[in-house]
Amino acid sequence: MTFTGAIGAICLLPLRGIIHLCVALRIHPNILTFTGVVVNVLAAWALAVNRFMTAFVLMVIANIFDFIDGKVAKELRMESKFGGFWDSTLDRFSDLSLFAGLIWLYSTLGRHDYVLVTTLTLIFSIMTSYTRARAESLIDKCKVGFMERPERIVLLMIGAATNRMAGVLWVILLLSILTVADRIYFTWRELNGSRKVEETLMAEWQQQKARWQQKRVS
Amino acid sequence: MKRLITLPLLVVWKAFFWTYERASWQYDLMVLAILAFVWITPPGWLGDPTGQGPGLIGWIVEKLFI
Repeated sequence: MTFTGAIGAICLLPLRGIIHLCVALRIHPNILTFTGVVVNVLAAWALAVNRFMTAFVLMVIANIFDFIDGKVAKELRMESKFGGFWDSTLDRFSDLSLFAGLIWLYSTLGRHDYVLVTTLTLIFSIMTSYTRARAESLIDKCKVGFMERPERIVLLMIGAATNRMAGVLWVILLLSILTVADRIYFTWRELNGSRKVEETLMAEWQQQKARWQQKRVS
Repeated sequence: MKRLITLPLLVVWKAFFWTYERASWQYDLMVLAILAFVWITPPGWLGDPTGQGPGLIGWIVEKLFI
């Protein structure tokens, strides 16, 4: 087992208990999703007032809700298309609120450079999700690039817990730019490849049509 | 010679154009590199508005040269 796989397995142990409790109480998964966003907004407030440790604790709680909602939906057989839509839409609110909190903090500290860095990080984080969603309306799957939402959230938690937010923001920004570029390139390659297949099929059809016309004429 | 040149380029390309799954050894390497950057870099080098303390590299520099 790899190092990150082991950490994931360890984190999953207490979460199983929480999932069983939510299933026993028959809490609707959409309520869990909404609660996660509310707690994330509180975490954003904590970031905005420079209380990083409080923000860390709130982010952990919020992401427990975020993680278990899908599993509870599965256990309760309440999986729905709307549930998926609701989850991914509210995830964007959570992301945006955390970055908004940091922008507020840096602006009150008069650090315009980090206001810009955080704003760019926010833009590219949203573009990471958008490029995948838009690509998957055109192609089957677009799961390339490193910096997806779980990585982003864990990094923000690490930044808050160890008070190393600047380094975390730089990492999220640079890897989000790369992820967006990866997804654009991957989608272009997939669509270009598909177009080549279409062109080949069209050429074959034209050839067959030409042969067929010759036979008819003859 | 050609292999020596192409291998590092391939590694860079694979790191940039990321297609590996979570919990793979490549993912582990990337995570360790990120954590090293975040925790070892002195906050002052990045102009961190809230970060305090010298960080690991800063601590080593202090011990060795100051």
